[in-house]
Amino acid sequence: MKKQLPLISGIAAITVSFFVFVIPFLFIIFMAFKDRRQAASRDFSWPEGFHLWENLVEVVTTRNWMMITAFVNSSILTVVSVTLLVVLAAMVGFVLARRDAKWNGPIEFLILAGLMIPPAVVPTIWLLQGLKLFGTLHGMILIEVAYNLPFSIILYRAFIATIPRELDEAAIIDGARPLDVFFRVILPLLWPVTVTNIVVQSVGIFNDFTNPLYYLPGANNATVQLTLYNFQSQFNTAYNLLFTNILLITIPPLLVFLFFNRQIVAGMTAGAVKG
Amino acid sequence: MSVTTADSAGALQTTVRKKPIQARYPGWFILPAAVIYSVLFLAPTVSSLYFSLTRWTLFDSVFIGFENFAQFFREPFLVQGLINTVIYAVVTSGMKVVIGMAFAVLLTSNIVARGYLRSVVFFPVLVSTVGVGITFTVLMHPTQGMINETLALFGIKGPGWLTNPSLALYSVALVDVWKGVGLATVIYIAGLVAIPRDYYEAARIDGATPWQNFWYVTLPLSRPATATVIILSFIGGLRTFDLIWAMTKGGPGFASDTVASVIYKQYQAGFYGLSTAGNVVLFVLIAVLVIPLTMILNRRRGHE
Amino acid sequence: MAGLELNRLRKSYGAVEVIKGVDLSIMDGEFVVFVGPSGCGKSTLLRMIAGLEEITGGELKIGSLVVNEVEPRDRGIAMVFQSYALYPHMTVYDNVGFGLKLARAPKEERDRKIRDAARILQMEHLLDRKPSQLSGGQRQRVAIGRAIVRQPEVFLFDEPLSNLDAALRVDMRMELAKLHQDLGATMIYVTHDQVEAMTLADKIVVLNAGIVQQVGSPIELYQRPANLFVAGFIGSPKMNLLSGSVTAVDGDAVTISGKDMANVQLSADAEAFKVGDMVTLGIRPQRLHLSGSGALVGQVVLVERLGNETNVSVSLPSGANFLAVLDGDHVLQPGQVVTFDFATSDAVVFDVDGIARYAQA
Ligand SMILES: Nc1ncnc2c1ncn2[C@@H]1O[C@H](COP(=O)(O)OP(=O)(O)O)[C@@H](O)[C@H]1O
Ligand SMILES: [Mg+2]
Repeated sequence: MKKQLPLISGIAAITVSFFVFVIPFLFIIFMAFKDRRQAASRDFSWPEGFHLWENLVEVVTTRNWMMITAFVNSSILTVVSVTLLVVLAAMVGFVLARRDAKWNGPIEFLILAGLMIPPAVVPTIWLLQGLKLFGTLHGMILIEVAYNLPFSIILYRAFIATIPRELDEAAIIDGARPLDVFFRVILPLLWPVTVTNIVVQSVGIFNDFTNPLYYLPGANNATVQLTLYNFQSQFNTAYNLLFTNILLITIPPLLVFLFFNRQIVAGMTAGAVKG
Repeated sequence: MSVTTADSAGALQTTVRKKPIQARYPGWFILPAAVIYSVLFLAPTVSSLYFSLTRWTLFDSVFIGFENFAQFFREPFLVQGLINTVIYAVVTSGMKVVIGMAFAVLLTSNIVARGYLRSVVFFPVLVSTVGVGITFTVLMHPTQGMINETLALFGIKGPGWLTNPSLALYSVALVDVWKGVGLATVIYIAGLVAIPRDYYEAARIDGATPWQNFWYVTLPLSRPATATVIILSFIGGLRTFDLIWAMTKGGPGFASDTVASVIYKQYQAGFYGLSTAGNVVLFVLIAVLVIPLTMILNRRRGHE
Repeated sequence: MAGLELNRLRKSYGAVEVIKGVDLSIMDGEFVVFVGPSGCGKSTLLRMIAGLEEITGGELKIGSLVVNEVEPRDRGIAMVFQSYALYPHMTVYDNVGFGLKLARAPKEERDRKIRDAARILQMEHLLDRKPSQLSGGQRQRVAIGRAIVRQPEVFLFDEPLSNLDAALRVDMRMELAKLHQDLGATMIYVTHDQVEAMTLADKIVVLNAGIVQQVGSPIELYQRPANLFVAGFIGSPKMNLLSGSVTAVDGDAVTISGKDMANVQLSADAEAFKVGDMVTLGIRPQRLHLSGSGALVGQVVLVERLGNETNVSVSLPSGANFLAVLDGDHVLQPGQVVTFDFATSDAVVFDVDGIARYAQA
């Protein structure tokens, strides 16, 4: 009797989770398979015929292959920002963990402030315009770096503090200069937390909607999240295309989830359990 | 810096180089990060304090004192946005704490299909917020949405989830919880598995019921996780923009506007000073609510 | 090849002075051991020599060069750390070759030097492994190998054996001694273990609270400790110390009496004493023997019979405890009253400041 409890509660949980969490995704998939007419009724029904391919082609080619531009833009934005985040945050984390300078306190304050305070949008736009970075991809990259640095720094600093200082010293005696110590000894050792950092930040930046909306206007600059938004009005009644689009931009996070589930969870729960 | 002050002095000082030994952890390592962060985050944040006091066209600004703020607290729809923001943050973080904790307890028990359940609960965290927003907008359509169609099968007339002004904000909050509860759950799971088994064994020897176990062991010992979940989701709730924008654009009317959506609307309308004042209001709101909250949660923790 | 010269070397962390003016000269090729209790500043002094700690005051010469402001890599030193500090992500081969790589040594030269070092340390079969796949002793070898390839003039060791188990420690100790013989380089070795110090050193430097207590060969330190601290620190079991006062001074002899002894006449530096001075008398446990009539009378508390020797713990009239290590096997019962004697030349007299006062030769 007692042994069956996990089974019964498990079946109940699976059933409930199916309705609450799985059905919305099935809905997206079904819609992406439907033709325009069937999709218009927006009900949870089995697709009549296989229209995924033609939907995909139409979504990708619409508005002069905007989807491709968007994927390229989002990829560049994600890859470059995350690379910069890894290197720059690890360098800061390294110095913060190793030096006990009097300005560590204020720096930590600024890092926490960065985690809490929402960015001041219009002054940022004004500043970007002054720097000729407004509406450019490299401006957007720098923005993503600036906004996500605090989280990455915190992640790295905690990890670097666990690497014994004697390792740096051994390298120094071996003749390593500061850059050698960092790039040849410390950075390779940070690999586990770097994977976590890459995964968490990539998902965040790839999914970022708000910041590109403000700082990267214009069809040529569209990122995938924005195309989704732009398409919504265009495919006013073409729900099959809208959901094909949603399905398309859900694939990258899905792949990340399949391959890096553990690192993501580790990164997102980092620091939650200390105390 | 490298000059010795040996009392025996001069005799020992054969060579004094100007440059001391090379810094081991040079300060310039933080320079690139510091420049990017200062220019693109700190500088706008600081200048927002000034621009919020102006009427601003991006090309020139006229100082008008606290007029923007006065307007913020005078116009009913702006005040509504302020209230909505707090409601939204409280509702979402409250639900995430309760549901996240419940899920975590369930998912750390020896339930079948644990791996599947964890995955299913967590996956929405990684999905595009706008995608989720659009999907649920369709599902929540009052007449053609799947949710109300399903309710109709049971003879229930579903509400206008997003069209009823007194419900819209809560519907969006519900979707926020749907998307975000997975994060709360994994944080709680990490907290729960860190509780030493000894406590439960001691409680069992004392004859504790499962409910007592939860109330006297699990709950107090997962307080750090609770603090993290509350603070993370509270800040997130106060700043929310994308989900609201994807689902209701603040409507119907201004019924589901939050400070973040007001900032965007005022920006689009060209009221840059007012928009920036909205930013400062949000900034102050977060500081005023989150700093005491953090202190309360940490003090409780200290007393254990 | 290089000796070292330390002149009034000082180190402070903020207001706390940790090394309080160390004078020392180390000859080329010497094996010098810094020994002292934990926290006395041994590591700090070694790290100052390495260039890992900035020197607050004084002057450090390696060879003929003042190196106070010279980078560690340019000091001609190599260091072996207590934790070994191997680079976890590199193979043994790369660990050993890292310094050469940084110095941009040609590939063939690098390879030759790495393999030479591996041969000397008999770890050729380990070159492809990662540190995590090695035992403690093997890691130790790699750390030493990393030092050897640098061909330093001075080797620095900071408690290199303290993470090994006892048997391995003895083996590695002998290997280090052999390495020193083979390489002929100057070696400075830090330990808190006086047995390591005694067995390895040409010269021991005893440190306490950042001050050098005594410098000398192991036997000098054992036979003629300069003060109470060294007397207590070097030698095992510890030297017995008894307090008393001077009752007579006569030529080269002083007579000492106390609660536990009456009118013991000893040879000492008579000029340093006058009648009535408080003194401490030191006798090594091994220098005591049972006798019918002797200076020390006490009650047996504990007996440990080891066969070849017998350790006897004795309670003296003052309540002080006293240890004797007797040659051969002796049957003694707890509670039994025994009398010990010793040669007056084996006893050391310390003045009221704890300084040993030996008879002038
Ligand atoms: N970075 C530091 N800051 C302040 N005090 C230190 C520091 N490093 C060492 N000390 C102090 O210096 C003294 C000597 O330390 P150390 O040289 O490591 O002793 P040991 O003889 O055990 O090797 C100790 O009292 C230690 O607390
Ligand atoms: Mg030490």
